[in-house]
This record gives sequence, C-alpha cells and structure tokens, in this order.
Amino acid sequence: MRPVYVLGVGAHPWGKFPDKPQLQLAIEALSAALLDTRLQFADVQGLVAASSRFEGGLGWGLHANEILQTVAERGIPAINVGGGCAAGGIAVHTAALMVASGQCDIVAAVGAERMPKGFIPRPPGAPDDITDTDYLRWVAIGATNPAYWALEARRRMHEFGTTERTLALASVLMHRNAVSNPLARYRSECTVDQVLSSPSVSDPLRLLEICAVSDGAAALILGTKEQARRLGVPLVQVAGSAVATSCFGDPALRIPAVATSPVEGVPHTSEVAGAARRALELAGMGPVDIDFIELADNSAWQVLAWPEMLGFFEPGQSDWMLEHGEMSIEGRLPVNPSGGFLSFGEATTAQGVLQVCELTWQLRRQAPGRQVPKAGTGLAAILGLGGNGASIVLKI
Amino acid sequence: MQAIETIAAAQDLFTFCGETPHLMGSRCDSCGACYFPKTTHCRNPACRHSNVVQTLLSPRGRLYSFTVQGYRPPALFRMEPWRPYAIGLVELPEGLRVMGMLTGCSPEEIRIGMAMQLVVRTLHRDELGRDVLTYMFEPVGVAESGQ
Repeated sequence: MRPVYVLGVGAHPWGKFPDKPQLQLAIEALSAALLDTRLQFADVQGLVAASSRFEGGLGWGLHANEILQTVAERGIPAINVGGGCAAGGIAVHTAALMVASGQCDIVAAVGAERMPKGFIPRPPGAPDDITDTDYLRWVAIGATNPAYWALEARRRMHEFGTTERTLALASVLMHRNAVSNPLARYRSECTVDQVLSSPSVSDPLRLLEICAVSDGAAALILGTKEQARRLGVPLVQVAGSAVATSCFGDPALRIPAVATSPVEGVPHTSEVAGAARRALELAGMGPVDIDFIELADNSAWQVLAWPEMLGFFEPGQSDWMLEHGEMSIEGRLPVNPSGGFLSFGEATTAQGVLQVCELTWQLRRQAPGRQVPKAGTGLAAILGLGGNGASIVLKI
Repeated sequence: MQAIETIAAAQDLFTFCGETPHLMGSRCDSCGACYFPKTTHCRNPACRHSNVVQTLLSPRGRLYSFTVQGYRPPALFRMEPWRPYAIGLVELPEGLRVMGMLTGCSPEEIRIGMAMQLVVRTLHRDELGRDVLTYMFEPVGVAESGQ
C-alpha cells in the first residue's frame, strides 16, 4: 500500500440554500477543493461520493455519476457509497484506499446534502410492519432522534452526576469555536444561561443542545506523495483510516432500534469505537498521540461521551475536562475546533467529509481564529445509520 | 353500548396471557439471547447454531433512563390528544432494555430505577373507528392504587 496525502480541500458554507440544488452544492465544494490545489476536473482519476437519500443521485444514490455527467464525462471510476450519516467518512476512506492500492494517483471524495426541515423522518422503501424498527419506533413510540440522545444523556446524569449546566457548557464551547469559522451556520457565541433557557426538545436536551439540519457540501482530493510534491502542497498524510460496524451486545440504543441487549465488555457505540481503534492502529498511534479531534456532536451528550468512548478520557472524566477548559482550543484535547454539528447543523452525508477538511486546515495552520496551537495529528470520527462507523487520522 | 374495536399499532407487538400483556420477542435456544421485536436469526457472533423461537418477554422491569419529548413527532406517529409525553428505557430480567412510552405518572415523579410494568393503552382512534393500541410502561402499583 502506498502512503496517501491530502492534496486539496474545499467546502460550501453550511446553511439553508433553497435555490441551490444538491448537485450544485457538490460541484461548488469540488471546485473549491480543486482550486485549493490548482487541479482541474480533468486531473481527477476517480470520484467517490457519499450517497444521500434526500436529494439527487438520480434516485438511486448515484451522486458521483450525476456529478461526472454534469462536469467531466470522461470514463473515470465513479464509486457511490452508502453508510447513512457516516457515508462521508466512508467516502474518504474509500478514496484513500483507491490511491493506496495503486489504482489511481488522484481521487476526489465528496459529500453534499440538502436536508428536509424538522425531525428526520423515516426513509422510504421498507415495509410497514414490525420487521422495520424504523416503522415501529414511530407508530408505537413516536421516538424522534433527539429522544435517543436524551435517554443516553439522562443515564449519564444518573451514572456520572453530569449536570444540565455541563451539558449546556458543551454547547457553549461548540458555538464559541464556530465564531471564526466562515463555513459554520451558527456563528454567535452563547452563554450557559441562554442554552438553559432555550426550549426543551427532549428533556434533558434543549434546542441549543441538539444539532439542526442544514444544507452543505465538502470535498477533498487525495493523491500520492509524488502528486503532493509536484503540486507543492503541505504534506498532510492520511496516517490511518478505517470503517467498522456495530458489535453484538453494544449497550448503545441505536437509532432506530427500540431495544438493546448489552453484553458485559462490549464498547458503547462500537461501530465508531472500532473504526477509531483500527484507524489509530494503522497509524501506529494511540489516543495519547492525537492533538485534537472532530466528532459527531448530534447533541451536547456526544461532546461528553465520545472522547471517553474513543479512549481519550476515562469514563466520566469529560465533565471535568470540559469545565476546566481542557476540551477548548487551547486545552489538552481540543474537541471540534470547527464548531461541530451544533454550530453547523447536520448536512448528514457531507459531515464526514467536512470533518477531514477541518483536520487538514488545522494541520496546515489555515484555521485563523480557531487554530489549535499544537496541531500535528488529528482524528475524525463519525457514526451512521445501520451501525456504520468511520474514522480518519491525519498527520503532518 | 357497542364495544369499540381495537387494533395494535403494529402486528406481533404484544399479546395477552389472561389479563397480563407481554411484548412478543424472540429468544435463541442455543445461546439464550433475547430480541425485541421478534427476529428471524440470532446475531450473536459467538452463537454457532442460530435457533430462534418466539418468546413472551417479562412484563416487569426497572427504568434505566427516560426523557420527556416536548415536540410533536412526524406524522407517522399519531396520538390524540397530543401533549408532551415521557419515553423510557426499561431493563427486563432477560437483560434486554426496551424503549416505550411511559404512563401512569407525571414527569416529575419519574426516577431511574423505578419498578415498571407493561400496560397496553390507546394512542388514537383511526378512520375506521378503531382504537389503536400500543404498549407502555407504568410504575408498578399505579393500577392497585386506583390512579
């Protein structure tokens, strides 16, 4: 396997863009990533797209084909990857493998999304019966996605004494980080009191503690060392990348399941824990070697739970770390210097690609106002429907 | 007075043994793993001979966690009249944790660790005039105290 480098990164800002089709968001993000490294569509030897169920992809999730048929119809491989909200991470991983294997020297990965308003509803296509838990959870319980995170958050409060103020503080940190990120949708600082006085969505989680849904797109171009040298870009290397799926006995109550049967010793959110462990292993690193992380903060609960689940902190330790500034940009383990999902709103399949763009900007020291002082290595981790996890480690 | 017809929110969700409702799940005869809702295969990778049979799950357990949902979910969920309601995760003796609506107590009274029992309640009345039923959990003792 050959070493893989990030040649270029680019993104369309997150927000609501009713006049821009998903395809246009994708092309704008790809164009930005190509411009970043002075390449053109004609230079790309393969395109991997995260498949969305919401818009585009010719109704079959063929997002890469749709892009090629619009801007560069020249016979290159198009790979469309599913994976729910982890699809962006899986796309980056797949693109990295295409370069590492020697099949291609320059490959692009893209995720672009236009989200419907409100709670994410049930996907089409499954039968209206009990064999589809995404049917069952709606008709029998009415459990929205935030209800799942809220059940975890409430349990955490019970087990570790996490307070509503600490959950609010996690949201405050994410919003503060986003203030100087031009790509973020919500760029105003907020206070603990403002978070605590926002309406309760799924108690104990409030409106400012769950992620909105946004439109957005991100792309990156991966290539060989020779290409990186030729283009004169900073040598940001994919030190490790991995995808994984959930394990039997995982205690996580996984959307859209309505039951879980925990087995002693099986890690929580095992698809993401497993992917991150493997990505670190491939990088020859441990959590202690990572300078900052980008994680999927669908709610304030994940900001606390994931650094522990990923092995960066001991169980229950995040509260202290957050309260003492250790998860801030200047802290011991900066978490989501980008501002995370809470500041972007989730553009589901684009999110995993954006995380790796942020790692790259940080490692290149191109993150003014939110620059992690010591950024030599970064880890991204993302979760998707169906027990999908992906994790990418970059180093410079 | 004519009895109102009833229908479960989903088929094979629950059944009654006498007066007592039970959730319908599956149990693997080889490794003992339990599932809800019912399933066709055992997904325990350590299980060599997946042999899944239908089982009725224990109607009692302890509250593992809960939330109060403050916004109305998408239209697939129907509840009349709609009002914010609690959802809980209840740990059954089988080791399963099952999610369900909570009833029989106000949100302020809910405590993790409470003994809960399965009940069947009406969510709404459908276009054919049938009461649509779902399972819920309520604190043990509510029925006896006549609330």
